[in-house]
Amino acid sequence: MAQLPNLDNASINLGAYRDHARKELVDALDSMRGKKVLVLDPKLSGPLALIVQIALLKEHGVENLYHLTPEPIHTDCKNVMYLVRPRPGLMKLIAGHVRHDNREKLQRQYAVYFMPRKTIACEKVLEDAGIFADVTLGEFPLDLLPFDEDVLSLELDAAYKELLVDGDRSCLYDVAKALWRLQAVFGTIPNVKGKGRAASHVADLMARMRREQPLPQIPPEIDTMVLIDRQVDMITPMCSQLTYEGLLDEFIHISNGSVEVDPTVMGQAANPKKIKIPLNSTDKLYRELRDLNFGVVGNILRQKATAMREDYKDLPQNQSVSQLKDFVKRLNILPEMTRHTNLAQHLTTFTTNPAFLSRLNIEQSMLEVRPEAPSEYIEEMIDKQEPLPSVLRLLCLLSLTCGGLPRKQFDFLRREILQSYGFEYTFTLNNLEKAGLLRRQDGRNTYPAVRRALKLVVEGQDDSNPTDISYTFSGYAPLSIRLIQQALQDRWKSMDELLRSLPGPHFEKTQALDADGTPVEHEAQSISVDRPDGQRSLVLVVFLGGVTSAEISALRFLSGQENSKHEFLAATTKLVTGTSLLQTLIDDDWRLRNNK
Amino acid sequence: VLVKESYQAALERSGRGSALTTPRIKILEQAIELYSQNKEYAFHAKMADEAAKLLKAQQELEISTRQDVFVDSSVSDSIRTCIAMGNHKAAQKLRVDFKVPDKRFYWLKIKALAHARDWDALDKF
Repeated sequence: MAQLPNLDNASINLGAYRDHARKELVDALDSMRGKKVLVLDPKLSGPLALIVQIALLKEHGVENLYHLTPEPIHTDCKNVMYLVRPRPGLMKLIAGHVRHDNREKLQRQYAVYFMPRKTIACEKVLEDAGIFADVTLGEFPLDLLPFDEDVLSLELDAAYKELLVDGDRSCLYDVAKALWRLQAVFGTIPNVKGKGRAASHVADLMARMRREQPLPQIPPEIDTMVLIDRQVDMITPMCSQLTYEGLLDEFIHISNGSVEVDPTVMGQAANPKKIKIPLNSTDKLYRELRDLNFGVVGNILRQKATAMREDYKDLPQNQSVSQLKDFVKRLNILPEMTRHTNLAQHLTTFTTNPAFLSRLNIEQSMLEVRPEAPSEYIEEMIDKQEPLPSVLRLLCLLSLTCGGLPRKQFDFLRREILQSYGFEYTFTLNNLEKAGLLRRQDGRNTYPAVRRALKLVVEGQDDSNPTDISYTFSGYAPLSIRLIQQALQDRWKSMDELLRSLPGPHFEKTQALDADGTPVEHEAQSISVDRPDGQRSLVLVVFLGGVTSAEISALRFLSGQENSKHEFLAATTKLVTGTSLLQTLIDDDWRLRNNK
Repeated sequence: VLVKESYQAALERSGRGSALTTPRIKILEQAIELYSQNKEYAFHAKMADEAAKLLKAQQELEISTRQDVFVDSSVSDSIRTCIAMGNHKAAQKLRVDFKVPDKRFYWLKIKALAHARDWDALDKF
């Protein structure tokens, strides 16, 4: 199992937060006496690996671990514990197991633990299946998982789709509850700002929870919370991230804080079993490299290699990363160096691909709203039947920056997609329309004004020595982070009009207690986040619907500025890339069923 | 309207699950009727119509070629399959019936011929 991220350097005590989660899990395990098998929702094994190691499970009587599948469990163990997300589909699988065991006359004890809470819908499924009396139900209230010293995630895969397509806001309840719990540990956060429908809903829920269940009064460690609805800025996730971590995520998919690669990538013998590489700030070199523009990573690795050895004189200048790789291997230096030169070299095979470069060009011209035939480019991608998510990502970016597509073009491209990929994708296109990612032009396009006002496109940025967050996308500054910058300069009031042109309401509030000690919220007056003792104020940014790693990099860049008054913590419903976000909208349930 | 639409989705999906094509076409026809009741869904009605047409064409192709490789693939996939089999007439017919733009057709043809390693035809083309 991968190493757990080191949380010692976190600006709030996340280590204790993780210990607490671990204790809750142990309590849940101990609630069932004796030896037991643990059956996990496959979606949970990754997140749980961030909390506990297998040895600890063994200590608490777990004989064996299984993933929940339709297959019945074969074990001599009398106790079976399920740990699942509250999804009705999973309840049916559990019911299937119990009924199978009853038929086989197996005497077993069952416990089902829900993460983070049980729902009525799930209980109903168990009741209907007639096994409600056979199982003990419990809750494992783990919500925010610490991915790193400054990143927390609820790992709710489909939050964005549920919010915008299904109109299901139950995930926001989980967010509000998680934030309530966070505040119970780290104190009530005085300043709350937000933008977007989901943000204001979370703020309302949080206010209600605070009244129903007052938070303990402890001095706040976090000064400001900014809630951002993903819907406010869908442009950023549709662009290709150009930071080291962002590119790793785009091309080899970071999942639960690690990547899996072929052994050949790491310079080892070919082997079908992939190697898992943990990526978090425990790796000091990664900590240094992750947030940089990939364009300079090669250079830095080169400098490091040179500095490490005195006999660097025989190292010729201007060599490619692959030559460098050999050099590093020869010198047999730190494993981190080898690890990251290997990964970086692997990435260059993608980034030097002409198709990737021309895609970046097209993205850039969309962001600058240059009329350079991007739609013909998309048409050609469809003609060549390139992977659908990658086509849709570009198409959505076009629609978002143009304020929709002209009717004729809209119908033409939709028809091309349906004829090329299959008519069943009608539902996918419907989902995109519902989410507002793809639409017909209706005259108004707010993007150019927003771009000008927030200086989203910045030219002449030196990526190796950046002075602005736009380095994360080589010339484009993420809209979401620009809004946060503005929010912290106390300028939301002054840009009322601009905020109105983005979807959803915006608000600034102060969470306080009135004379009787009842929790109240009032309109924020002048918010001074400067701490008297000259310390930097801590800002928690909550992205509702997902966040990309390039955006987190941009926040870290802001914290790292010399005159910065703020330090950031990021929390989200899910760490995403544009592709993984769209994948939740590409509804191919029926296709999967057919293949089975 | 939204209710109707989701009803559609359920209907079509349940139809797609079955291997028999005739009932599926029936369901699609119902969908066309429902879609065309609302002007907003003109595009959807047209697409459902094309989907039904495609299923019929694929059914015929499966009978004439005696290979069940067509149903459940897209227009583009079907054209490619036809070319790869050397059945250029059928490909041409699909191209006309579904008004496939030249550009897409040429891409498909190049891909299919390269895949079938039919270098002579590719050369002539």
